[in-house]
Amino acid sequence: MTGVPLAHGVGSRHDLPLSPFYAYAGAFTALLVSFLALGLLWSTSCFRGDLAGRPLPATVQRVADAPATRTTLRLLGAAVALLFLAHLLLGPDDPDRNPAPGALYVLLWVGLVPASLLLGPVWRLLNPLRPLHALRPPRNPRPVPAAVGIRPAAAGLLLFTWLELVAPDNTSTGTLLIALAVHAGVQLLGAARYGDRWFAHADPFEVYSSLLARLSPLGRRADGRLVLRSPFHGLDSTPQTPGLVATVCVLLGSTAYDGLSDNPRWITTLQTSSLDPTVTATLGLLAVVALAAAFYGLCAGALRLMDRSLTTPLTSFAHSLLPIALGYLVAHYFSLFVTEGTRTVIMAAGTDNALSPAPPLGPGGLATLQVAAIVTGHVLGVVAAHDRSVRLFPPARAIAGQLPLFLLMIAYTLGGIGLLIA
Amino acid sequence: MTRATHPRGAATPLLSLVLVLAAALPLAGCGGPATTHHKPGTTHEEASGSSGTLLPARDESGHRLREVPAATAPTVRVEARPDTEGGWNIHLTVERFRFTPDSTGGAALPGRGHARLLTDGRETARLYGDWGHVPPGARTLTVRLHADDHTVWAVAGAPVQATVRLDGAPAAPPSPRPSDTATAPAPATTAPPSPRPTETGRTVTLTIAGKTVEPPPSRIELKKGERLTLRVTGDRADTVHVHGYDREVPLSPGVPAALTLTADRTGLFEVETHESGLLLTQLVVR
Repeated sequence: MTGVPLAHGVGSRHDLPLSPFYAYAGAFTALLVSFLALGLLWSTSCFRGDLAGRPLPATVQRVADAPATRTTLRLLGAAVALLFLAHLLLGPDDPDRNPAPGALYVLLWVGLVPASLLLGPVWRLLNPLRPLHALRPPRNPRPVPAAVGIRPAAAGLLLFTWLELVAPDNTSTGTLLIALAVHAGVQLLGAARYGDRWFAHADPFEVYSSLLARLSPLGRRADGRLVLRSPFHGLDSTPQTPGLVATVCVLLGSTAYDGLSDNPRWITTLQTSSLDPTVTATLGLLAVVALAAAFYGLCAGALRLMDRSLTTPLTSFAHSLLPIALGYLVAHYFSLFVTEGTRTVIMAAGTDNALSPAPPLGPGGLATLQVAAIVTGHVLGVVAAHDRSVRLFPPARAIAGQLPLFLLMIAYTLGGIGLLIA
Repeated sequence: MTRATHPRGAATPLLSLVLVLAAALPLAGCGGPATTHHKPGTTHEEASGSSGTLLPARDESGHRLREVPAATAPTVRVEARPDTEGGWNIHLTVERFRFTPDSTGGAALPGRGHARLLTDGRETARLYGDWGHVPPGARTLTVRLHADDHTVWAVAGAPVQATVRLDGAPAAPPSPRPSDTATAPAPATTAPPSPRPTETGRTVTLTIAGKTVEPPPSRIELKKGERLTLRVTGDRADTVHVHGYDREVPLSPGVPAALTLTADRTGLFEVETHESGLLLTQLVVR
């Protein structure tokens, strides 16, 4: 394979394009809900971020916070990482017989979505680089500069999605070993300078998992209590760190590019362009991410024009795009996770020539799920943005103030559905 | 020496035990619950049962014919499709007939039994269902319907059967033969003469020149179960690969290669060349 890489690294079966019926039904629902929300939703902000939540029993909290639990999880993460490394080093260089590519592209990358949604920021607990770092912690780590935020993680996510969607030979053990070495090198060097808090800023998987965990019903209150809370409160508590917008735009853009890369017209462009297909695909990925970011920038500019007192229009609303990105992720990767994830586990258990199980849903069921995921993401985003805008804007301008955001979300949602029709 | 005598000494009581058991077995088989592979009331004995009229005539394999009125007689049609790995996939269409593998050997009951395959006039296999496979090499295939007691169902003194000619060599994937894979052979000649055209499926022709594919990559919409033949002409030695179905066919420059598949999995699948890494087309199977 020297030419166009397969989309999402592994998996030979792609989801069927959406039939127009589902697409129109989804688009109509999204539009209807948006305009209903404009008129009907509350007029004073009611999400309280990390102050909200019903505390879990003290026993649960004690077990969750126990050093033994943490150590077990660390060891578990380290053991799985060693197994992964062993497969990469000793296993055959064939994604059909080596579970390592599937473990990275499906079990880790896609599996972090349900895991984080259910249990919170799990990768912070499992990250095998943390115990490795803890073997030789720096004596006096410097603080991470405030301007860094999660920008390194945004760059890491962009590189990872490039590896997943664009890079040639992205399932060969050699490529994966190089990627792993670069990742571990950057993370450990940063951590040697800034201490283990560097991981929360720069490890793409930790940041990805932590952001998705904002939508988890399980969360931690500002006072440290483990609580059950509405995902809206969790979403509202998303820290407005520098790089949040970039991270969300990378997530939106890369998933959108995944949809685009199935489109025959884009494939024709790739194959017939005078540039190398990998270069063209890289430019395509960057263009889609830039387009997502440009739309957001336009919207933030419009918000700023409407209300001069809004000093941080970019980061104030970035959290409301997270559910939309989540909807994209579910729509694109659900069946991949179920079929290829199972196959990877079967392979790791020692079965040679494992068959991919049949998709769990028929074409109609899968299309419904995809549209439902995108529309649900849209609705959650609209509600989150509405609450934020009634908090930030004076009451007289609250409705008008969210119009640019609504237009942006409708554009993202229709774009997402459009890419699924492709 | 002593060792040699030992088994002989043990053999005598063992032998008598076997004899007693052998004598007891038929008794147990008849009286109590079935202990052999025969279900109660079923034996290997031919010509049991009273359905139809047993004719004195026998077929070439020595089975007697069982005459039934044409109006209630079972019918069979057969069609053969070349298999892409060699040989033929055959499909029987039967009327007023049910395959009853679990009562084979029992009495003949109307409209029940199994089918036997005769290739070039020699009996080679039985079918207990409506699909089967015939290995390459045969020129004609006859399918004959038998009752459970192995007699042949017959109408007007002739066995109920269908014959199909297996024309030419069945195509294997590498053979770039233009006519074989695309169209199955002439329709079957059937006992009740109602010939049906064999399903041929769709044929899509693709040509690769350098980095361009003609027609440009697009989506081929297929219904699940539909058959598709891809006829690909490349300008260099390469391999065409259908993802998901994991089917491959080698390409040699300028010679069309054909790949036939039955779209039995739903989804979107890519057809690519391995060496040049070009996407040729996508299959959309709904």
